[in-house]
Amino acid sequence: MRVAIDTGGTFTDCVYLRDGAIEVLKIASTPKDASVAVLEAVARIGVGQHLDLRHGTTVGTNTMLERKGARVAFVTTEGFEDIIAIGRQTRAKLYDWFAPVPVCLAPPELRFGVPERVSAEGEILRRPSEEELAALAERIGQSGAEAVAISLIFGFANPETERRLEAALSGLGLPVSVSHRILPEFREYERGATTVVNAYLAPRIERYLLNLQQRVHDEHPGARVDVMQSSGGIIPVRLAAQEPVRTVLSGPAGGVIGACRMASQAGFPRIIGCDMGGTSTDVFLADAAAGGVARTRESNIAGVPVGVPMLDIHTVGAGGGSIARFDTGGMLRVGPVSAGADPGPICFGRGERPTVTDANLVLGRLDVSSFLGGGVALDRPRTERVMAGHKGALATVEDFAAGIVRVVEAQMEKAIRLISIERGYDPREFALVPFGGGGPLHACALARALRIPKVLVPKMPGALSAVGILLADSVRDYSQTVMLAGDRLPHLDGYFADLERRGVEEFASERLQGVAECSIDLRYRGQGYELNVPYDVAQPENAAAAFHDLHRQRYGFADPQRPLEIVNLRLRMVAAAEPYEPVWTAPRPGDGAAACFATREIFFHDRFVPARLYRRDHLVAGDRLEGPAMITEYTSATLLPPGCAAEVDGYGNLILHIAEEAV
Amino acid sequence: MKLTKNDPVELAIFQSMVHSIAEEMGAALRRTALSPNIKERRDYSCAVFDGRARVIAMGDHMPVHLGSMPMSVEAAVAAIAFEPGDIAILNDPYAGGTHLPDITMVLPVFRPGSERPVSDKPEFYIAARAHHADVGGMYAGSMGPAREIFQEGVRIPPVRIVRGGELNRELLDLILLNVRTPKERRGDLDAQIGACRVGEQRVLELIERYDAPRLSALVEQLLDYSEERVRAELRTIPAGAFRAEDWLDSDGVTGEPIRICVELRFDPADAAVTIDFKGSSRQVAGAVNAVRAITLSACFYVLRCLMGDDAPATASILRPLTLVTEPGSIVDAQPPAAVAGANVETSQRMVDVLLRALAQAIPQRVPAASAGTMSNLTIGGVDPRTGEPFTYYETAAGGMGARPGLDGISGVQTHMTNSLNTPVEALEYAYPFHVRRYAYRTGSGGAGQFRGGDGLVRELELLADAEVTLLADRRVFRPYGLEGGTEGAAGHAWLARAGEPQAEELPGKCSLRVPRGSRLRLETPGGGGWGEGVERQDS
Repeated sequence: MRVAIDTGGTFTDCVYLRDGAIEVLKIASTPKDASVAVLEAVARIGVGQHLDLRHGTTVGTNTMLERKGARVAFVTTEGFEDIIAIGRQTRAKLYDWFAPVPVCLAPPELRFGVPERVSAEGEILRRPSEEELAALAERIGQSGAEAVAISLIFGFANPETERRLEAALSGLGLPVSVSHRILPEFREYERGATTVVNAYLAPRIERYLLNLQQRVHDEHPGARVDVMQSSGGIIPVRLAAQEPVRTVLSGPAGGVIGACRMASQAGFPRIIGCDMGGTSTDVFLADAAAGGVARTRESNIAGVPVGVPMLDIHTVGAGGGSIARFDTGGMLRVGPVSAGADPGPICFGRGERPTVTDANLVLGRLDVSSFLGGGVALDRPRTERVMAGHKGALATVEDFAAGIVRVVEAQMEKAIRLISIERGYDPREFALVPFGGGGPLHACALARALRIPKVLVPKMPGALSAVGILLADSVRDYSQTVMLAGDRLPHLDGYFADLERRGVEEFASERLQGVAECSIDLRYRGQGYELNVPYDVAQPENAAAAFHDLHRQRYGFADPQRPLEIVNLRLRMVAAAEPYEPVWTAPRPGDGAAACFATREIFFHDRFVPARLYRRDHLVAGDRLEGPAMITEYTSATLLPPGCAAEVDGYGNLILHIAEEAV
Repeated sequence: MKLTKNDPVELAIFQSMVHSIAEEMGAALRRTALSPNIKERRDYSCAVFDGRARVIAMGDHMPVHLGSMPMSVEAAVAAIAFEPGDIAILNDPYAGGTHLPDITMVLPVFRPGSERPVSDKPEFYIAARAHHADVGGMYAGSMGPAREIFQEGVRIPPVRIVRGGELNRELLDLILLNVRTPKERRGDLDAQIGACRVGEQRVLELIERYDAPRLSALVEQLLDYSEERVRAELRTIPAGAFRAEDWLDSDGVTGEPIRICVELRFDPADAAVTIDFKGSSRQVAGAVNAVRAITLSACFYVLRCLMGDDAPATASILRPLTLVTEPGSIVDAQPPAAVAGANVETSQRMVDVLLRALAQAIPQRVPAASAGTMSNLTIGGVDPRTGEPFTYYETAAGGMGARPGLDGISGVQTHMTNSLNTPVEALEYAYPFHVRRYAYRTGSGGAGQFRGGDGLVRELELLADAEVTLLADRRVFRPYGLEGGTEGAAGHAWLARAGEPQAEELPGKCSLRVPRGSRLRLETPGGGGWGEGVERQDS
């Protein structure tokens, strides 16, 4: 049985396929040791033979955010020890004289130079002697380092010296991460930082994953354990333990894949996703015709660049727990500071500062009985009382609350504009797919502001990450910087054959059969940035044409006469997951009256109006409701303003039709 | 109609909307421009102005453009009777520009009526500025040691590049004939026109959303809001006059030091400040003369930093400011002074002087001097690997000054710039160089209770004969410390010519031909320290 388990801060979501349908189980997370909840979930489902467990983990993210990783020794070419700290020389905030001094994951006393040098062409200009290597091993052994990252200048162009170093350090008993394997691509800082992050995470993640695997095997001999990567593909647990840098955004990647799969099944190949959680909102854009969600190799995790492929997710510091305040000029601001779990929003009983969740409660937009599964008591009188003390010049608490909601929605709108309009896409051609605890609550307002006509609230919006993990393909990415002239385009088969051999071997050792997808990063000679285009060994010239087209689309011009440069080769091994056909029920027109359980006053625009409340799990395919209404479910609620309508499709998704706001 | 201050919600949403217009223009410009300087180093700015040419939103791009963008729009409005469909272009530092490579375009937005605009006065203006990699003149790159503006490139007063929607081809041909890389310039100018149109489209959406009185009320409210934020800061600064001076080593021509001095007069009761640069040197022969727009940018930058990172950059930040400069001085250059280097060097020194004076008023809120030079390095020659000519240009970061309570950051771009470095591996692929060392310049930060950040060391071996041009400062006058912290180390450059045993130290500003196999070592200044030194354990 295939089971996906996604560990979150509060809940551990578990989804699995039973008789062709996806079932959900939510249990409380166990922050001290996340694997306890994972095993409990597996036990509760009662899997039979052949457990195929897929896991989304936050251990990597948390280790980065809390800065609780290993003491990393950074080993590089002599004369370049500081590059890992210098970065790109830029500062994060332009107008802040008091920005904290960035903390480098490899502290100065753990940076080691090696007397060696490789040229851009891969020629070894200087080889370290065996004595020099032995001396280095000795120094590192005495340094107190808990993990080692090796990244030499141009080490990827000829890995001989990196390999010798790795061998020389193998006796130390420390996990060693090597740049030509983690990220064999040029740009020394980004490659070095990615390798250091890998080393930083290695001891902790390895311990966690191997322990989890052991305990799963104790209960379920022969079970397969896989881990979700930040790129949206699954890898075997053994590889994840070796290359933990590929798992730092494991959970969010699941949500993205889940949203894309559900939407494309429902007939929406182009979507803008919006996952609103407690402290932040993630947005992304996916176009099935263009290969789904864009991936980026320029991610930044807790201030450190990470160059391995990740889904391109943009995060804003606006979530349910974001705190509202008036600044010194009297303008209302929301976030990025969050009330977090402690003290939490006012309505949870201890918070003293107004949050987005408090504002939604005051406006009647939270269903007290179903909020977070009914597990949290919400204190509305306290919320109104405390908020009244913070409302500044505004007339009423409701005005204040409505203002908070509008401001936070304006921030989410800005984030969506950034990933769509600023990158050359028109949001009106996309469907908005909200999920996470808060997404469906704000979706109609966002869609209106962006003139997006349709919203899809997927089935199980609160467990979408786990759904995505369940349905994801197995994927492993390989790359290599080559920096060749464009006329070498027809002669890349040798390079690709090397990459493919590695991929096939690794997949075979995991009992997987994969297909290789080749692509190359091209640029006009002299440019400083590259574009990735598909590469077909049989028809290499297509890559050049695709590059000119993409350049024109992305940057508005192309010049087929200009010489090209082949920068990186990329190979993606993909083993498709077993196909999943969701259960489809023929819609029968209905009004959902059977699911309506109450009528309450909800604040829209400038006043309270009576609105019907529906239970989502009582709605059936074909039901159509008109706003004002709220559709509640476990961990989430969809708000339907006056003028908007909701329809349940054959898969159980809610399709919202957005009418322009009558002001 | 004036809205009361009780509309903090509508204000927040309006501010977010206009700011995203400036950001979207910037994204469009970056996407469509041809040259790496715009695409990668992001040397551009986009902004939105109201009908009275007051800036209401500006993207977070280049601090050195902050105060000078408004001057471009004012100059265009003064010179041209705008009609719908017009776009103005300008770069003359003596008519709304800064230095010649910065070319600015200005587009008026009229409120559409049923047939023609409801008024012949624009309701908004849009501006897009970009630093062009070459605008002609005696040096490739137009940033060399010229002696008068006529040597620095093509000068463009405010004129219409687009008239009634039609591109003015004759004017464009004239400009392109005067530059070294016309194809690239054409692409970048097209990108600027495109960015202006993106801004126009978004402003028209604003106009559609709000009626005129409502829109103008929101604009006033936004301007009042930023004024209140800056005044709230000014009220916290004690009354008094605070004087400071600092020096540029030289203009690269005479060797004479150049004095910049300032008096800040705070009046907390009135929440106002006067910034008076009296006593600063007269303008000089070399290309480090700043036009007043640069000086205003330095003042704008300092005020904006006082307000916190989230404050929007609008015209009213300057309302409480009275700026006094003497025409013909180094901070208010008059024609025909050469100005190219003022953006990169003089602007930094002005910030140093402003902070030094400010530190007397609010010592706990002001950092010691940062590196104070962008250490501009240009290397040109023919690449033996390809036989093709190359030109390399890069700035190098230094140490940040120590802050009360915090050490300075090492090897980081400070104040008026924030451009990215070129990776060593990218450099060796692209140019006939071999980088031998790239490291912190340990110990170069000033000592003190809090230490200044260290500068950087970069050592290059040239694999081709080349022309090396250096434009750097802080060789003689070092970055100051505050409250007893000591100075940061001076910058240095050393050249070991191939076959010669002794390395020679290079002056801060020079241009020379060197043979293949020579080694160049650049050491950038450290930041000043803050506070009386106490012995500290090394971390």
